Amino acid sequence: MPKRTDIKKIMIIGSGPIVIGQACEFDYSGTQACKALRSEGYDVILINSNPATIMTDPEVANRTYIEPLSKEYLEAIIATERPDAVLPTVGGQTGLNLAVELAESGVLEKYGVKLIGAQLDAIKIAEDRLLFKDVCRKVGLEVPNSAVVTNVPEAIRLADKMGYPVVIRPSFTLGGTGGSIAYNHEEFADAIARALDASPVHQALIEESVIGWKEFELEVMRDFRDNFVVICSIENVDPMGIHTGDSITVAPAQTLTDKEYQRMRDAAAAIIRAVGVETGGSNIQFAVDPETGRMVVIEMNPRVSRSSALASKATGFPIAKIAAKLAVGMTLDEIPNDITRKTPSCFEPSIDYVVAKIPKWQFEKFPGSDTTLTTQMKSVGEVMAIGRTFQEALCKGIRALEPSSAWRPPAEVTTALLRERLHVPGPDRIHWLFEAIERGMTRDEIHSLTKIDPWFLSHMEEMVALDRQVAATTLTKCSREMLLESKRSGASDEELAKLWNVKSASVRGRRHELGVVPVFKRVDTCAAEFESFTPYLYSTYENSDESAVTERPKIVILGSGPSRIGQGIEFDYCCCHAAMALKEDGYETVMINCNPETVSTDYDTSDRLYFEPLTLEDVLAVLDREDPQGVIVQFGGQTPLNLALELKRNKARIIGTDPESIDLAEDRRRFGALLAELNIPQPRGGTALAPQEAVTTASEIGLPVLVRPSYVLGGRAMVIAYDLKTVEEYVAQATQIGGLSDPKRPILIDQFLENATEVDVDAVADGEDVVIAGIMEHIEEAGIHSGDSSCVLPPVSLKPAVLEQIRDYTTRLARALRVVGLMNVQYAIQNDTVYVLEVNPRASRTVPYVSKATGVPLAKVAARLMTGRKLRDLHLPVTQVNGVKELAVHDFFAVKSPVFPFNKFRGVDTILGPEMRSTGEVMGISTTFGQAFAKAQLAAGQRLPTEGIVFISVNDHDKIHAAPVAKDLAAAGLKIIATRGTAAALKRAGIDIEAVYKVNEGRPNIIDLIKNGKVNLIINTPLGRESFYDEKSIRRAAVRYNVPCITTLSAASAAARGIRAMVGHAADVAAIQDLHRRKSVALP
Amino acid sequence: MEDTLIEALAGRATLALEDGRVFNGRAAGARTRRGGEVVFNTSLTGYQEVFTDPSYSGQIVCLTYPHIGNVGANPEDQESSKPYIESLIVREFSSIDSNWRSDESAHKYLERHGVPVIWDIDTRALVLHLRTAGALRGVVSTDDTPAEQLIAEARALPTMAGQELASRVTVSQKYDWTQGSIDLAQPLAATAAAGATGSNGHVRKKNGAGAPEESARHRVVAYDFGIKQNILRLLVDHGCEVTVVPAQTSAEDVLALKPNGVFISNGPGDPEPITYGIASIRKLLGRVPIFGICLGHQLCGLALGGRTFKLKFGHHGSNHPVKNLLTGKVEITAQNHGFCVDPDSLPSSDVEITHLNLNDHTNEGLRHKSLPLFSVQYHPEASPGPHDARYLFDDFIKLMKAGV
Repeated sequence: MPKRTDIKKIMIIGSGPIVIGQACEFDYSGTQACKALRSEGYDVILINSNPATIMTDPEVANRTYIEPLSKEYLEAIIATERPDAVLPTVGGQTGLNLAVELAESGVLEKYGVKLIGAQLDAIKIAEDRLLFKDVCRKVGLEVPNSAVVTNVPEAIRLADKMGYPVVIRPSFTLGGTGGSIAYNHEEFADAIARALDASPVHQALIEESVIGWKEFELEVMRDFRDNFVVICSIENVDPMGIHTGDSITVAPAQTLTDKEYQRMRDAAAAIIRAVGVETGGSNIQFAVDPETGRMVVIEMNPRVSRSSALASKATGFPIAKIAAKLAVGMTLDEIPNDITRKTPSCFEPSIDYVVAKIPKWQFEKFPGSDTTLTTQMKSVGEVMAIGRTFQEALCKGIRALEPSSAWRPPAEVTTALLRERLHVPGPDRIHWLFEAIERGMTRDEIHSLTKIDPWFLSHMEEMVALDRQVAATTLTKCSREMLLESKRSGASDEELAKLWNVKSASVRGRRHELGVVPVFKRVDTCAAEFESFTPYLYSTYENSDESAVTERPKIVILGSGPSRIGQGIEFDYCCCHAAMALKEDGYETVMINCNPETVSTDYDTSDRLYFEPLTLEDVLAVLDREDPQGVIVQFGGQTPLNLALELKRNKARIIGTDPESIDLAEDRRRFGALLAELNIPQPRGGTALAPQEAVTTASEIGLPVLVRPSYVLGGRAMVIAYDLKTVEEYVAQATQIGGLSDPKRPILIDQFLENATEVDVDAVADGEDVVIAGIMEHIEEAGIHSGDSSCVLPPVSLKPAVLEQIRDYTTRLARALRVVGLMNVQYAIQNDTVYVLEVNPRASRTVPYVSKATGVPLAKVAARLMTGRKLRDLHLPVTQVNGVKELAVHDFFAVKSPVFPFNKFRGVDTILGPEMRSTGEVMGISTTFGQAFAKAQLAAGQRLPTEGIVFISVNDHDKIHAAPVAKDLAAAGLKIIATRGTAAALKRAGIDIEAVYKVNEGRPNIIDLIKNGKVNLIINTPLGRESFYDEKSIRRAAVRYNVPCITTLSAASAAARGIRAMVGHAADVAAIQDLHRRKSVALP
Repeated sequence: MEDTLIEALAGRATLALEDGRVFNGRAAGARTRRGGEVVFNTSLTGYQEVFTDPSYSGQIVCLTYPHIGNVGANPEDQESSKPYIESLIVREFSSIDSNWRSDESAHKYLERHGVPVIWDIDTRALVLHLRTAGALRGVVSTDDTPAEQLIAEARALPTMAGQELASRVTVSQKYDWTQGSIDLAQPLAATAAAGATGSNGHVRKKNGAGAPEESARHRVVAYDFGIKQNILRLLVDHGCEVTVVPAQTSAEDVLALKPNGVFISNGPGDPEPITYGIASIRKLLGRVPIFGICLGHQLCGLALGGRTFKLKFGHHGSNHPVKNLLTGKVEITAQNHGFCVDPDSLPSSDVEITHLNLNDHTNEGLRHKSLPLFSVQYHPEASPGPHDARYLFDDFIKLMKAGV
């Protein structure tokens, strides 16, 4: 069927900031959709608030709006651009929900915009659990018994009748937010209240438990001709009861006969037809009773999803790209298969390998949170690994997950503990499974505790048995055959080294002597039936190699591995840009990465893709094969950087800034010496290996101090200590946790600059010349992790002399470190003195944001410099003052704001600190700082009120400074309420204010007011380290009732400016293609 | 029990091809050696159906999916009474079986039926070789025969082209078939209680259950050139009374059974030497509605005056897109054939091409323009494979209803 000609302009709604349950997979799918539609001749209008995405690059869509994903902004864009259609199915749940909102509120009708891909009715059936169940029953399929509830008493009555355990699923939430399993009446009463709150429509489904059943997913597609294909089947190793996003999964399904699989396929076809998803991809989940084979339908997503991204990477079939083409009326048989070229996309991929996906959790960031895995997704990222067998894929996945640290069981493992760890799934259950097998627990017992299919368990047993055999030999005595068998079942050099108590380099050496080296095989959608034209490769230990390496000049780019807090999509963005720029420059680009969510692991992004773990062993294997002219390590964040020195030692040609310089910048002593030599101030600091030493160091430096481990990632495990006891405790704890007492990696102790303004600077350099790319002023004061601070570009309050100092220091630092590529410097400004906090001669988290704000693609520039090109030849739009070059800024402000996952970790305090906890970011652009800030806040999910009530409670130190903020807010027409102390202080400053009760002072107190919806904004700065029961409950209530809550006075001040700027203003929107054309101005 | 199984799987095995290429791996199944044409199948599920498909007679099958044996073996998933593959080649042969319907391990099942298995070889390398060289004769040995001898034995095997294998696998006596498909939707416990169980527990659809009208019985005579039982089950599901007859049964004897329709089955080998079958179809044409599948399709093509030719490495899998030229819709189909009907050889005055393979544009279906005959190259009965083409059984019923 030919594509539609009645539509020309199509709007795509992105998924916004990275949050748990909605990560960079929607950048991958959205980018594919944009490219696919443009290649068919359509104009694409894109809206997404997340600047760290490839899809918001100005070249991807015709018109790109980095604006808040809210109805009023979308309507403003529709009114401006007048699209003919909107494609709601590639922007995750956010994009789909917004499309529904636009349709239901009549906006689409008003502007004559059609929905393509999925119609409103189909979306509503698929999303509404009750309607969906009805539809399934109508086509003769079974669903778990269930009921939809809208209030607590009714829910309890029904659950009691149904019997426990009962599964609770709130309607219309992301990644199962608010979902849980209740094993008894009491748990249920608590859980159902939370679920109803989490649902935007105050509705939840309670359901017969199918916990422990086998869990399967089918990724399916359908076109306008009603052609239907299954792209991939996925089997969850962790059975029902754990959210699929938190489950280890494998593709294809391993434990179904053809009859059972085809029954599932028939069911999927019946469902997509009955629901009425006319075109595109859907994900359908099933549960199967392992005893009887009874199959029930669990749910459906009528859109591309995290699983469809996984399925695309697992099979080589680009679901989002094809879905976009189907949405405009093309049929599957009209679209060629990119990989085989000769065959059509209307087929079902056959694979001849096994794919394992393992989630990545970061509970350590959220102390006090419940680490039990349930139906609410808690992981922040995932890895995918490809092997010829389940064992190989699983092992590769485990080592891809966390290349640097091996899991170790606690000192004492009792049977009771072992049983509990198996029965109550936590993030490290896979390690406990191996532990249990090693300790001789039987398969039956493990199965009865975990319900994991015996097939998976038996393979894990074989791995343990093989390890035992290997451990009984030595490095030199181990036969080639046994070594090969061990490698074939996935063992890494590091594991073998541990078994033999030798260095992993020795294992590698021995392997090469014996000729035990991996080969690379292709992911080709067809199990080798047809020739493949895309070198999408994975390693395995077999005979034939299909890498077909070329003689072209080539550069290898190391990706960033699984998404983590502190190492997210921003780094993938940089890696993709490096690939694009170097491709344009005529290099063959080679990507190594293991994150299935990303654009970098799209086989289209680089010339060659190695889907491999980012460990030394796996990377060296690729380099051995490819022998590239250069290797780029500075774009993928800490993961590839950790490999840099070892790679260099192994003769890899690392291009760009020398790894020694990167190391120097991380080495406190050498870096301190360099700063002293350059006469650049830094906070006083020292190191310690033991608690007592730390106390001495801290008292020499003077309190408060910032205490943290070396080699930081997103400020992991940092603390600001106001007293020596905290220092001592921290160091004692850190050395106990292990690894941190390594003399090469001491505890770092630094003077903490209170109330300082923090500034981030990104720069590019070619070894001689330096260009400052962006000076970003943080909204929150120093001490809040830079990744958790909002910031503004250009700066709004820095004095010209300070700016000059910053430029001078940045330029000199770049030269001193002989930076070739990107560099990020963090400064703290206290009383007009500029201190250097940190220098990172590599890509930083802010690169995409600065690139979007300035219109200069920094990572591309940096990649070119790394291959030897010079800044002077790249003709960047720079201004030059006193020999210091800086990118021209535009006449608008770009504010970046973080987004936090607090709603997933109930009970965790939301106060910001030196530990990074945000998962994503948004950007707000406007001609005034206030409006840009307000837009960024809105985009981050905090709608600043322009009317209503503001509650203020600040610490004594902040009380004087709170007055101007309160005045601003009052002037904007908001009513101010405050706790007694704050109220008294503000009254003295002449502000009309009403005092309210704290929690212990009487009722109704402030929490009651929040719960009753009487508070529209909360400004609450922390009073001190241990005194916050009251505040904690206020902040928790704010998260729960979705009231914007600001925890620093500087942010409150920015918010006040934002509110004033918003009052009486309609949504202002601008395409970045227009913004970048606007006049640029020089900073003072 | 599993420990002994792992030991049993530890012997050595060799695959030698006629072009001298040798793969060394481990042995499972029977200790013996068997020769045949080496082909690969890309299905992700349904290995037991593949083992027992008589069309694989004379062939050694390499399954491209690396884990085989995961779900064991059971009597419900057989397509005939025993495995017909000469030998099996896989990457990983599972030491355990895990499925609620499994009765025994795949290893035991194949051992019991005398089929040798070679596993733990680079099957993808083998597939790439076959894709380039075409299907090759080969011998699998699990009895420690030296490779040179195996190569010689492989070279001594007859080539597939020209081989008449149907007579080797066909039934000797005619029989009635009454079993319908099993119903997985009925959980085991319930069916056991009901007493109406299949061999290990599932309810089988009664003759005619699910058919539109209970009264509308269709007498079908099915020629067995190596017939897959799922074809028979589906005919029963569609309300047919089925009599299976030997391949050599004459048209006259078939007509004497007064059938409403005749089915021409799938089967192994080259269609051209099956001259008796071609002759029967010619005699039956116009006298009774005819439906052919796979080899049956090729025989229909030959009976209608066309030619067949051998494909380089054939189509063996469950994911081949076939376009129905009458409706424009695409079906994902199960395929298992090494020979193909040349559409240009068919008389266009009489024959209409109905189905096209979208991967390589080979012929997948035809029908007679004026007489009640249609046939497809692929497997609408699937097993293993998607059920997209089941409508063809409805079409056959319609054709029988319309009569001659």
